[in-house]
Amino acid sequence: MANKALEVIEKQSKQYIVVMVGNEQYGIDISYIDNIVRMQKITRVPRIQPYFNGIINLRGEIVSVMSIRKKMGLEEDVFTHSSRIIILKIEEKGALGIIVDEVREVVNLSEDEIEKVSNKGRFINGIGTHGDELISLLEINAIVDEGQ
Amino acid sequence: MDVSQYLEIFIDETNEHLQNLSDCIMELEKDPENMDTINEIFRAAHSLKGMAGTMGFKRMQHLTHDMENVFQEVRSDKIKVNSSMIDLLFKCLDAIEGYLENVKESSDEGTEDNELIIKELNDFIAAANGGAPAAAAAAPESKPEAQAGEAPAEGSGGYERKYLSVKPDDAETAKIMEATEAGKQIYGFTVYVEKECMLKAARAFLVFKAVEELGQILVYSPSSADIEAEKFESDFSIFVATTEECDKIIEAAKSVSEIEEVVGGEIKEESGEEAPAEDAKETAPAVQEEASDLHAESAAKPQSQGAGGKKQAVAKPVTNRTVRVDIEKLDALMNQVSELIIAKNSLVSISSAGSGDFQDQTFHEQIEYLERITTSLHESVMKVRMVPIESVVAKFPRMIRDLSRKLDKKMDLYMTGEDTELDRTVVDQIGDPLQHLLRNSADHGLEDNETRRAKGKPEVGSIFLNAFQEGNNVIIQVGDDGNGIDVDAVRAKAIERGVITEEQAESMSQKEIVNLLFLPSFSMAKKITDISGRGVGLDVVRSNIEALGGDVEVATELGEGTTFTVRLPLTLAIIQALMVEVRDEKYAIALNSISNIEDIPVKDIKYVEASEVIHLRGKVIPLIRLEEVVDIGPKEEEPEHLTVVIVQKGDNLAGIVVDRLMGQQEIVIKSLGKFINNNKIISGATILGDGEVALILDVNVLM
Repeated sequence: MANKALEVIEKQSKQYIVVMVGNEQYGIDISYIDNIVRMQKITRVPRIQPYFNGIINLRGEIVSVMSIRKKMGLEEDVFTHSSRIIILKIEEKGALGIIVDEVREVVNLSEDEIEKVSNKGRFINGIGTHGDELISLLEINAIVDEGQ
Repeated sequence: MDVSQYLEIFIDETNEHLQNLSDCIMELEKDPENMDTINEIFRAAHSLKGMAGTMGFKRMQHLTHDMENVFQEVRSDKIKVNSSMIDLLFKCLDAIEGYLENVKESSDEGTEDNELIIKELNDFIAAANGGAPAAAAAAPESKPEAQAGEAPAEGSGGYERKYLSVKPDDAETAKIMEATEAGKQIYGFTVYVEKECMLKAARAFLVFKAVEELGQILVYSPSSADIEAEKFESDFSIFVATTEECDKIIEAAKSVSEIEEVVGGEIKEESGEEAPAEDAKETAPAVQEEASDLHAESAAKPQSQGAGGKKQAVAKPVTNRTVRVDIEKLDALMNQVSELIIAKNSLVSISSAGSGDFQDQTFHEQIEYLERITTSLHESVMKVRMVPIESVVAKFPRMIRDLSRKLDKKMDLYMTGEDTELDRTVVDQIGDPLQHLLRNSADHGLEDNETRRAKGKPEVGSIFLNAFQEGNNVIIQVGDDGNGIDVDAVRAKAIERGVITEEQAESMSQKEIVNLLFLPSFSMAKKITDISGRGVGLDVVRSNIEALGGDVEVATELGEGTTFTVRLPLTLAIIQALMVEVRDEKYAIALNSISNIEDIPVKDIKYVEASEVIHLRGKVIPLIRLEEVVDIGPKEEEPEHLTVVIVQKGDNLAGIVVDRLMGQQEIVIKSLGKFINNNKIISGATILGDGEVALILDVNVLM
């Protein structure tokens, strides 16, 4: 009985990594995340989309790094010691790094803790409540998509 | 029937046979009486039939069988080769190719029966035999039967009972004894495979499969591994433990196609017979003795076998020095070599950093040694990946022949340098662009027969394809002796289409105008044919070739002909590059595009049409400031001397101004990935010894 109840919860909840971008908390579906690395030297590539910072060497592989702030039309990044690059694994297109100001924690959000939104801007597909905190859930496809 | 493991071999060999057939049929068209060619075609068709049969591709087998029949008649002089027959044969080849495509995609031949072609083939035979199709069809078919009938009549005398001389080793003897104790009979068989049979190992596999349904195979001679590796002439022997009749097993083995004969009989081994009869106690020493006897024998045998094996290993490569290797395995090997080179580079950079700890003499020596090894390892791997372009260009004569008929123009294709080698990945992708250029030559390049006669040119037009190596590039020229490109017409068309303005047109050189042909949707064809002229033409050719890191140029002379020159890099993954710096950014320039490096005083810079140029040894060379190309602002203070890397693309030169040279390095090319919009001036990135990333400049785009 207890086991069964647990299973039901497992099925309905998803794990998110909570990150800070600016003063907002964002949640990224953990199934997209391949790796989280410290800030490192990003090699600028001339004449590319403005919201890309460049490329990094991730253990011998070249990975493009995107500024999620610039993509969402926010102010320039300021890199601190808590800045991280989150490496997303996107089907077909491969790995992509996005820069966040801080990685906070991993949370479990069940379906009834998530409020679906459709008109809250196209980078977000829902808002999760975790305790007192509000977490904007990132729509990865919108971030990966071309265009502003 | 599980034959999937032979599918790849089947596909490869079928391809080879098809190419061979195509070549031979072309030959036959020119020289219909050539008996050698006819025999060759017959053999190839026969092999195809056999292979298709083994793999269970019935439709393909049927078609090739009827093809073979036609050649049977040609061989016996009942049919003369004529052009409609050649056409039909080509149709057959296309049909077989269709089957093969299906096999490649779905491991199945598909459902197309090609009845029309088969009917036409049979009509040929019927016509030859004066309306007695039944007899003709029966004749060749009855032959194999007669052969089969002959064989047993001949008796197994012609076929040695080689299994009698097979000596099982200890483990095998034990198995045999075990089986006899279990009340099973041991039979020995020697199976003879047809000498001309392809895929002998597959045949053996099928025999084993059939036999194993009736009993257990205890002993293989040669070993099962050798049989699988096709290391046997035309026969192999097996011992089978079974409760079935000997004849039944022979029957089963013979049911496999292209098995010539199977001979067999009971094995009466002393140890095997005595063992159950006598007391266990007494047997023990006897068996041991037997065993030690066998041991002595088997000790002697491996030596002779070893020698024999060696002899074979030495002898065999003469006939077959190649192995087929999956390209993925080579890619994996290549990646590992790339990793090794990166690791080596990082050692080099540590050693040259000279932090004191590493100033050891022997350390440097070892680094140099490592450098030599990685370089030669890289070269070897590259060489393994190199294949002659022959595999691609071999189909072109047939294509030109078909085009010649379709367009009703007389033309011949002359090819040289088919043995020129390129990286496998390049070869795989160069087929389409070349084919397009050839079609272009045939369709637009060459004039029709009357025009050529009127112009006093030879009526038969010439199309040529020349391939050769030039430095680190391979050049493939495709051209014709046709009318050439009418530059004025191109110009007029470009203005009409709004591609350029009239003012622009006036300032453009002839070469620049001709290059407009490479723009998307710029077709010069007056009428659209199904051969070319849909406007998806030269631009696709160019983008395909550029995707391979090459480029294409065109030279034309009105009335004389046109030549397209395709330039391709020998290798893709690892190149020698010159590392340069602009401020603190590092860029790599492929060494093969660099002609020389100059130190130019700033005062020597001249201006032509407001662009910077330098005058160097009689040539005017435009300057490209790398800082502008990569969007870094100009230096606050212009130095007195500029470091200029002179790069070359065909006949064009350009000077790239950089801040500093860092030296030459072997670099591994990595893709920028799919997220960053390719801006073309950067063709990729590489990881340097210290882990830093440098971008690779594509100078071809800059010029």
